Amino acid sequence: MANVLWLQGGACSGNTMSFLNAEEPSACDLVTDFGMNILWHPSLGMELGDNLQQMLRDCVSGKIKLDIFVFEGTVVNAPNGTGEWNRFAGRPMKEWVRELADAADFVVAIGDCATWGGIPATAPNPTDSQGLQFLKRDHGGYLGKDFRAKSGLPVINIPGCPAHPDWVTQILVAVATGRAGDLSLDEFQRPKTFFQSFTQTGCTRNMHFAYKVSATEFGQRKGCLFYDLGCRGPMTHSPCNRILWNRVSSKTRAGMPCLGCTEPEFPFFDLAPGTVFKTQTMMGIPKDLPEGVNKKGYIKLTGAAKAAAPAWAEQDIFVV
Amino acid sequence: MTEAVQTLDISPVGRVEGDLDVRVDVQDGVVVNAWTQAELFRGFEIILRDKDPQAGLVVTPRACGICGASHLTCAAWALDTAWQTEVPRNAIIARNLGQLAESLQSLPRHHYGLFMIDMVNKNYRDSQYYEEAVKRWAPFTGKHYELGVTISGRPVEIYALLGGQWPHSSYMVPGGVMCAPTLSDVTRAWSILEHFRTNWLEPVWLGCSLERYEEIQTYDDFMAWLDERPEHANSDLGLYWRMGMDVGLDKFGKGLGKYISWGYLPHEEKYNRPTIEGRNHAVQMPSGIYLGESDVHMNMDQAMAREDVTHAWYEEQGGPVHPFDRTTNPVVHNQGDFGGKYSWATAVLHSEYGHLEAGPLARELVYGGDHMEDWQYRDGLVLDMYKNLGGASVLLRHFARMHEVKYIYRMMERCLRELRLNEPFYVKPKERDGRGWGATEAIRGALCHWIDVEGGKIKNYQIIAPTTWNVGPRTGEGERGPIEEALIGTPIKDPKDPVEVGHVARSYDSCLVCTVHAHDAKTGEELARFRTA
Repeated sequence: MANVLWLQGGACSGNTMSFLNAEEPSACDLVTDFGMNILWHPSLGMELGDNLQQMLRDCVSGKIKLDIFVFEGTVVNAPNGTGEWNRFAGRPMKEWVRELADAADFVVAIGDCATWGGIPATAPNPTDSQGLQFLKRDHGGYLGKDFRAKSGLPVINIPGCPAHPDWVTQILVAVATGRAGDLSLDEFQRPKTFFQSFTQTGCTRNMHFAYKVSATEFGQRKGCLFYDLGCRGPMTHSPCNRILWNRVSSKTRAGMPCLGCTEPEFPFFDLAPGTVFKTQTMMGIPKDLPEGVNKKGYIKLTGAAKAAAPAWAEQDIFVV
Repeated sequence: MTEAVQTLDISPVGRVEGDLDVRVDVQDGVVVNAWTQAELFRGFEIILRDKDPQAGLVVTPRACGICGASHLTCAAWALDTAWQTEVPRNAIIARNLGQLAESLQSLPRHHYGLFMIDMVNKNYRDSQYYEEAVKRWAPFTGKHYELGVTISGRPVEIYALLGGQWPHSSYMVPGGVMCAPTLSDVTRAWSILEHFRTNWLEPVWLGCSLERYEEIQTYDDFMAWLDERPEHANSDLGLYWRMGMDVGLDKFGKGLGKYISWGYLPHEEKYNRPTIEGRNHAVQMPSGIYLGESDVHMNMDQAMAREDVTHAWYEEQGGPVHPFDRTTNPVVHNQGDFGGKYSWATAVLHSEYGHLEAGPLARELVYGGDHMEDWQYRDGLVLDMYKNLGGASVLLRHFARMHEVKYIYRMMERCLRELRLNEPFYVKPKERDGRGWGATEAIRGALCHWIDVEGGKIKNYQIIAPTTWNVGPRTGEGERGPIEEALIGTPIKDPKDPVEVGHVARSYDSCLVCTVHAHDAKTGEELARFRTA
């Protein structure tokens, strides 16, 4: 039995919606089969008003054991550090977050907003938003760099806009079944089991990447989206093409460039004019190269790739 | 003897999205005055200023995790009208299919996950249907709760076939869509639809075939259907209706009686050169407004939209303005002052008719009209029920939402038939400056975006969501917002557990989260805080 409390700050509820798409286990299975006791959730919870506030206070005091505190959405600090632009249950949400994080065994940040600020923290960050332990790439965030939950772990970051339901449910199940000791986190506190490989790993357009065959415009079944359409698959850590979305596909498989939404910089370049769905280049070379590849290597690689490209690579291989 | 007015502050109400507080004055067990207060500001319009013209395609789906496809639809059509693009028929169909998939998902998810939980509230334990309701609809453990929540994930698999994932894809772009589905995507989508129909829609929700349900044209037909077979009466729809009547959901939540729909689903051969002016003539589901009191339908035009910030936490000059003239300037100190400013939602108005209600009920009432073109969709059932039942109520508003499954399902089938897999899905547009407007009907109602592109970047971006229409505060002239008005007359059986207030808010499927505190009207002192679910 693990008590789970899930709250939302500056959020769109997208991670909740994504979570509800989960199938193995489903949201209901978590409760009926894995003994998750969902103390409260904004879309699913029964408690309200006074009962909810009493429950929150009991979690803070330790009267109710808070095993897992899940937070979705940014911590809103505006105006002037007061947090009054996001009030919840009678006070600024940020005050609840601090007290509950201190009381919990595990703190899980779900989605980009809670991990590093996401869309609401895009310049000029009108709500003065932060993630729980990061703001973009800066370690610290609302709870501070040195924050540790009672288990000794820092905030477990499950980024993505939204996070995939399996990334969420499997971490919850790992914690609830006593496997938290197996969790290994990277420098951004992401579980390595999901975020060590690349979005490109398993992409159906990999052969087109390898032979440098570009999708130069949208609506095509062939071609790699990296060279012209701004795809960040080779530079982004996620299992989007290993653990498929909604069980059937991924953005890059469908033809949409990866936006890099599991990385702290999302949305990249703060969406400045000329940066959306366009590969940023200098002298014809992409400014951001696949991780670990240098410019010289890239030129050699793509030169050889083009020279070796078979004729079929320029034709549709995913045909009607 | 008349009792003193008791004020209940409900903060938060819960099982709506975002943060909503509701204040109601209760006298003799009935709500006599109400205020709705949106409690979260994220500033999307501010973030979009000076950004890439296409930034809205990335940012606005993230305005709402529930209606992301609807926001994306608006963002794409807004750019199409601003850039004067050509949109091929396949792209129109692929956009419509994504929009419809999101809406189909939302029917069981909202119904079981958010709305029906109220039916197992102890306030209703005297109902003859209570025991059965608990068996079916109790959260997490109810037989149909689990089935309904789980099956709601299926329709968006179709969205993922087009856009890679749901929620939060950006596959709709000016000039078309990013995808080019194959035959196997289409056949898989058909299979998903079939699964949805044979595992939930027909056996659980309707208790009959979709074809039999489609025969229902009038209120009398509906009542006859209900009595025709035990399978109908005992279906989740049948039990909803009978229990709803039994506990009096038909008795409150009337509202303003004025309705708006932008219409949606452009026809694949009528909107290939999209313009703001041409939209009403191109959508399969007609746009319009319906004025209940005078029983009049008429056309709606975006030029008639106004926003009034008198009671909203913004400092902006002048009276009600068109969204193109908004500056989105939030106040720093958002203290609730019920005589002054008290919400992050603006009052959205029609230039002539003031506040209007948005949502499935509004749409269905518009579909019953005679103002549309001959080829556009028409369905008079909900309008007939509205007239027979003496106007709107919580019962009818939520029925209208679930009734939409009828055309949503059929329109999805139509999309799958009409895609021509060997024809283009995208025509690369030329980027240019200009003003655009994109609209749709999200499952919870009228949604639209205005964009003004100048010097290759966004000068102004404005969004009006269905909840902005519905949850808006009073106008400068004092007219209550739609939910505020709908709360008037609501009976409160137990002021310590005012589930009825939650019912009204949730019948609008408002996108906000609420709580209830109770105040003594005379001293303003807080008496108690109550749960409403």
